[in-house]
Amino acid sequence: MKFKRFLVLLFVFILALSACAPQPVADPPSDEADSLAQETEAATEEAATEEAADDEAGLPAACEEDEFGCAVIPEGETIKVGMGAPMLGDYSMFGIDISQAVALALQEDDGFEGWSYELVAEDTGGTPEGGAAVANKFVTDPTMVAIAGHIFSGSTDAAIPIYDKAGFPMMSPSATNPDLTQKGSAVFNRLAFTDAAQGEAAANLLFNDFGFTEIAVMHDGGTYGQGLADVVAATFEDLGGEVVAYEAVTPGEADYVAPLSAVDAAEPEAVYFGGYAAEAIVMMNQWSQAGLDDVLFFGCDGTFGVEFTDKTGANGEGAVAASLVPPDSEEKTAFDALYAENFPTEAGELSAFTWSSFDTGNVLIAAIESVAFVENGTLYVPRGALVDAVRNSDFFGLTGSVKCDEIGECNASGPAWYQVVDGAWTPLALASD
Amino acid sequence: MINKLKNLKLTPGLILRILVGLGVLVFLGWRIYQTAFGEGTYGPDTWMRFLIAGLVIGGMYALIAIGYTLVYGILFMINFAHGEVMMLGTFAGYFALEAFAAIPAPAAAGPDLNFLNAYPVIALILTFLAGAGTSALVGLLLERIAYRPLRGAPRLIPLISAIGASIFLQNAAQLLFGPQRRQYMNPDILWRGMGWMIPVGGKEVMLTYTGAFSFVLSILLMVALFILVKRTKLGKSMRAVAENKQAAALMGIDVDSVISKTFIISGILAGAAGVMWGIHNGLFNHYVGFIPGIKAFTAAVLGGIGNIPGAMMGGMLLGLLESMGPALLGLDFQLKDVIAFTILILVLIFRPSGLLGEALTEEKV
Repeated sequence: MKFKRFLVLLFVFILALSACAPQPVADPPSDEADSLAQETEAATEEAATEEAADDEAGLPAACEEDEFGCAVIPEGETIKVGMGAPMLGDYSMFGIDISQAVALALQEDDGFEGWSYELVAEDTGGTPEGGAAVANKFVTDPTMVAIAGHIFSGSTDAAIPIYDKAGFPMMSPSATNPDLTQKGSAVFNRLAFTDAAQGEAAANLLFNDFGFTEIAVMHDGGTYGQGLADVVAATFEDLGGEVVAYEAVTPGEADYVAPLSAVDAAEPEAVYFGGYAAEAIVMMNQWSQAGLDDVLFFGCDGTFGVEFTDKTGANGEGAVAASLVPPDSEEKTAFDALYAENFPTEAGELSAFTWSSFDTGNVLIAAIESVAFVENGTLYVPRGALVDAVRNSDFFGLTGSVKCDEIGECNASGPAWYQVVDGAWTPLALASD
Repeated sequence: MINKLKNLKLTPGLILRILVGLGVLVFLGWRIYQTAFGEGTYGPDTWMRFLIAGLVIGGMYALIAIGYTLVYGILFMINFAHGEVMMLGTFAGYFALEAFAAIPAPAAAGPDLNFLNAYPVIALILTFLAGAGTSALVGLLLERIAYRPLRGAPRLIPLISAIGASIFLQNAAQLLFGPQRRQYMNPDILWRGMGWMIPVGGKEVMLTYTGAFSFVLSILLMVALFILVKRTKLGKSMRAVAENKQAAALMGIDVDSVISKTFIISGILAGAAGVMWGIHNGLFNHYVGFIPGIKAFTAAVLGGIGNIPGAMMGGMLLGLLESMGPALLGLDFQLKDVIAFTILILVLIFRPSGLLGEALTEEKV
């Protein structure tokens, strides 16, 4: 009897252990499991490719020579582009918007030699686990040639090693974490500009174009906001300017008069703020109370948006912010109309990534078409060549020039700058222009 | 005093306290000397701005803190849902102002005017009545539903009930009104960001209309409360119930009704503070009551919980500490809460009953 009780206790104990233990140490084992799963899947994929190739009486020479082999797309199939995105749940607006814009690019293209393009967007929930699972699924598909994504940085990070081994080129419209391109991956590229790139561009604009020499830098203490603020402060001082005040505010509060007054005491010509619209709105509304009337408010892509202009009204006049939203052009107007025609929402309503996502789709199409070839009625896309082709993209899209550097940062034109004029965000017009 | 000192025993605890106290005093003195005379970072105009910001926010803290202190004085429990009572007042004021802005004014008042701008004083009074009334009602219901059934229970139980009520009210507000931030519709004469320009040290400092209005109104409300507690029959019975419930009941005081009225009064003050918060700061959502609630609780403890002038003083002091503390010590403004709470801890080390609080008898504790 006692022994039985002991057994039950032991069982419960083991259950409890197995429930709690993996949490903190989950990463290494699950990584191993992932790579193991990925290896076996890669193996099956190779087998599948070989099988398919056998039917076609041998692979073309280009595929034999390619490091990663070829994507093999028989007649009647589509050229598939994959996407790992949060399609459900809290962040689904990003996944839905980005997948719609990429799908639009693929669907608008008239195809390659009779093959048309198709987007396969799978739900990652925005999580690393989801990203790895989706990536493992995609690499087994012989008709999948490239990845538009992933969408969130965490999910992208988990997926990169998997695509790296299989030779699937990636082009993310939205993963902004600076580290992603620092890991030496050959397949990962992105169209999103990083926080570091934005900060440097902002400091340059303040020093060179506005001609300021004394600025104040403020942030909300968050990874994003403080990261930006630090880059701006460092770059601005490197350029020869002076950061006269550096102040942090507590996010989520409704009264920033005191920190703003402290900044005002240093008499800056402009205040750079790294953070989000919620705090920027409160600051803007208390701008004159703190005596900052003739001081420029310079925000980031976190402060850009309709909420800012709605809730600051006349107080927000003259504020500057960065955005992924490209300046108006004929192509943009045409795209906006096309988007509104195809989907229930307007372009840019769900996320700010609509336009860069459309460009992502087009960049991938251009790269695929530069390396794909047809032999015996089957379409072959050499994977290794495609990886290089995406990295060597030279494209001009809605968001400007797409040209990747050696680590895969492809947004060559940087963020677009906007200023509030008459209560609306309008592209920044500098006095010197 | 001398006798007291003679009887003092130098226990290790006391020595530690004295050391901490001396250390802090030296540090404070040195930092304040440095910022005030040494570096001279801030001119008098900046100090004036700090002062104004501190007093305005301090007045609101004080009003909410009084609610904590009144309830504690009578029930010896912390009403953790008090911040949520304030939040509902903010919402009520918002909807009242929106409604007034939607009603067209009679043609006699002028063309193209809504009720809000045609009769701003009446509209504001009604708005405050709506906010205070809603909060009073919520306070009353809170007491009936969440606290009264637990009157005889151990003291932890109503505390847990209070935290539960707080979470419930916050989430209910989110579900009812949505999580988005809303903006108060002030009448044009009391628009945010407008104010008198006061020349200080060769510069102009803005005293906003909303700030002055909030500060004056909170002082008036505090004076009214003070008169109510000291001069009226209700005040007398409140004090009697706080002193000893059983004796008060024997004297013919309806204890339950006095407790209900206490909740109504603290609700009125919290609701008024909520509407001021909206009018002065503009933006709010269902989360608006949480931080002021915690700060006001801190203020009440700082002043001595259970003591009404203590809560008023604690509120003002906390507001000033938040706006001036970082500047005085030459620290980052993100550390204002650290400074405020450090002061709280120091005060509690040396005066465990708060600045104005008296030592509680065994029975009350």
